[in-house]
Amino acid sequence: MNKYMLLPATAVLAFVYTSTCAQDSLKNHKLDEVIIRQKQKATTISSISTLKTENIGTRELLKAACCNLSESFETTPSVDIAFTDAVTGYKQIQMLGLAGAYTSITRENIPDTRGLVAITGLTFTPGTWIESMQLSKGTGSVVNGYESVAGQINVEWKKPFDDKQEKLLLNLYQSSQGRTEGNAVYTKKLNSKLSTNLFLHGRSQWLKLDENNDGFLDQPLDKQFIGANRWFWFGPKNWEVQGGVKAVYVNNIGGQWNYEKGTEQIAGNPWGFQLNMQRYEGWAKIGKILPRKATSVGLQLSAVHHQQDAVYGSRNYDALQNSFYANLIYQTYVGNTNHTLKAGASTLIDHYNESFAAQKYARIETVPGVFAEYAYNGKNWNLIGGLRADYHSIFGAFVTPRLHLRYAPFPRTVIRASVGRAQRTANIFAENMGYMASNRAFIIQTTETGKAYGLNPEVAWNMGINLTQKFQLDYRDGSFGVDYYYTHFNNQIVVDVEDPGSVRFYNLSGLSFANSLQGQFDYELLHNLDLRLAYRWYDVRTTYSGELKEKPLVAAHRAFANLAYETRNKWRFDVTVQWVGTKRVPSMWGKNGTTIMPESNSPDFVMLNAQLSKSWKENLELYLGGENLTNYMMHHPVMGAQNPYGKTFDASMTWGPIMGVNVYAGMRWKLR
Amino acid sequence: MKSIIIFIFSALLSSAALAQSDIKTDSFKVDGNCNMCKKRIEEAAYVKGVKRAEWNEATHMLTVIYRSSKTDEKTISQSVAKAGHSSDFTTAAEKDYNNLPDCCHYKTNTCSH
Repeated sequence: MNKYMLLPATAVLAFVYTSTCAQDSLKNHKLDEVIIRQKQKATTISSISTLKTENIGTRELLKAACCNLSESFETTPSVDIAFTDAVTGYKQIQMLGLAGAYTSITRENIPDTRGLVAITGLTFTPGTWIESMQLSKGTGSVVNGYESVAGQINVEWKKPFDDKQEKLLLNLYQSSQGRTEGNAVYTKKLNSKLSTNLFLHGRSQWLKLDENNDGFLDQPLDKQFIGANRWFWFGPKNWEVQGGVKAVYVNNIGGQWNYEKGTEQIAGNPWGFQLNMQRYEGWAKIGKILPRKATSVGLQLSAVHHQQDAVYGSRNYDALQNSFYANLIYQTYVGNTNHTLKAGASTLIDHYNESFAAQKYARIETVPGVFAEYAYNGKNWNLIGGLRADYHSIFGAFVTPRLHLRYAPFPRTVIRASVGRAQRTANIFAENMGYMASNRAFIIQTTETGKAYGLNPEVAWNMGINLTQKFQLDYRDGSFGVDYYYTHFNNQIVVDVEDPGSVRFYNLSGLSFANSLQGQFDYELLHNLDLRLAYRWYDVRTTYSGELKEKPLVAAHRAFANLAYETRNKWRFDVTVQWVGTKRVPSMWGKNGTTIMPESNSPDFVMLNAQLSKSWKENLELYLGGENLTNYMMHHPVMGAQNPYGKTFDASMTWGPIMGVNVYAGMRWKLR
Repeated sequence: MKSIIIFIFSALLSSAALAQSDIKTDSFKVDGNCNMCKKRIEEAAYVKGVKRAEWNEATHMLTVIYRSSKTDEKTISQSVAKAGHSSDFTTAAEKDYNNLPDCCHYKTNTCSH
């Protein structure tokens, strides 16, 4: 088995294979960790996998004392993160200039944050639970489905069978902005075959804050509880079974300072925001390694029940999602193990029932599909070619081809290219919840009924090329990488906010594309002092009512620098500076609502985050950090704040930070 | 941005060129078990004058690149022994060995990671 581990392809295969073969994943994870520790780097980019994959390890996650998945990307240049609006406190991510919903987020290779929770779901995975994340751009493997347009983010939770895993990990966090958070991860190895994790998380935003004095809370008061339990069983005859359950309970209440739950939403009363979510998930993976070498069969199962009700002033948004997913994967080789073949079948069932501003929208999507993927691992060349065919109960049959190439002309130089198709159904309300924090009319422009909100699926082609060059300079390691991706939409559900009074949704008519260019430089300046510099450029344009325009609220330029230093007696310092360029702000209502202000460009700004931590004997770690230390804030994130029931009210045009300096402190305590 | 990168590169290259003259590379055996030991051994080997230290988990060989005018194998091995790991040059004191976590007790244990 070890021999295969060394083969170039395995890292990629393992990436997918993890899902089916836990035993295998165990070995591979160790391999990953070896790589991380050798280089003492927090984020590593593998040279051997066919897909360019950034492995974000525990060290990287600790850089920002990150509280959940969405905040954990603060130190990753590949991911942009911004507030959805000035009321709900939620942030959304962006990859390749495209909204988070275009990135597929998986938990151990099972689709996780999708559907109604494309934005809010990122807060459902506390950072303390995460062992590592793998981030790759472009369309991924067909084995994981057809939906991902911009990239994949796979999240690996802490493993109970891992010898290094502490028995109990406790984490406490307190911020100066009145947020308290606690996490616990309990691990029990019952015997060499059976092990379990119990994950608990509780958080509360209990302090009302209005730093910009507009009468609106900068973020809602919230209560959030998340619990999960999972089991691993390594059975005889190479059977491996794992399964888990997770429950999420979220309660948010915000809006104007004096709003209280149940306040009637009519002019004169405080404008309110409420969001309650309950989510239950269950999943299982059953795998067996077959007698033929490098051959296995695996089944992934997952079920989700999600329910939410929200109040945005006089508009209510209630939604329900029931999803079921099954994926059967058979893996073997042809001729010799340099030629791997994966084939299988999957079923995805999504049932949505939504009601927005008293209008009801319901649909059931059933998508059975088959797929095959061939991987070749040569000396300098690697190739993964995949094809899947799915039948969508609403939109009919479609095929999804994808191709990934890797070429290593020299030992430290890797060139990769990828091209692929993706298709997804837009959940127009959930993915654009930010616009609910306004009095914009939601208008769906379609002549059709049925379908998904009467709209077509989104279809995109994504292609990319990237170069990774590793080097050693003065006996210390470094790397340089540059990548370019182009996404072309055949159809997109255009979100048109060019008119200040509405947000309109319609099928694309004309061009829509996204160009993304990123360069990144990593080097160990001095022993244990790591520097990362990155710059990225986006050109994202869509045809809005016949006119090709830059997508609003997307920064074309962004520069990033991170310094991380670790001393021998376990002090750690991290500083991240980011410069975010201007964004296009569409035209808005003038003060009294009779005039329209022309579209403008937001100012550029600098964000500074820093953190200091100290650990003792691998048991106790204390940290102290600051976010937005330059105290840069948008002065008027809520337009028309004096009259939230009038037509000028709009909290959705957020281009910058809503909150000022945040100082936090916390501890991690491990019982071994 | 571009100028910053060029500046860093040139600064590094020039300092590297100056230091070339007395650079030495040596390998010696250091007792240890696993990946956890690896990190400790390498950190301990970074005494003043050491440019790079890599311990191979499979062969137990520690490769050090250092300035011979500033340090030598013996000094490096003493620092490694202080962290609990014996080598061809220096044997770790019983007290320092006992401070190691269980899985790194190379005299009695072997470990899988």
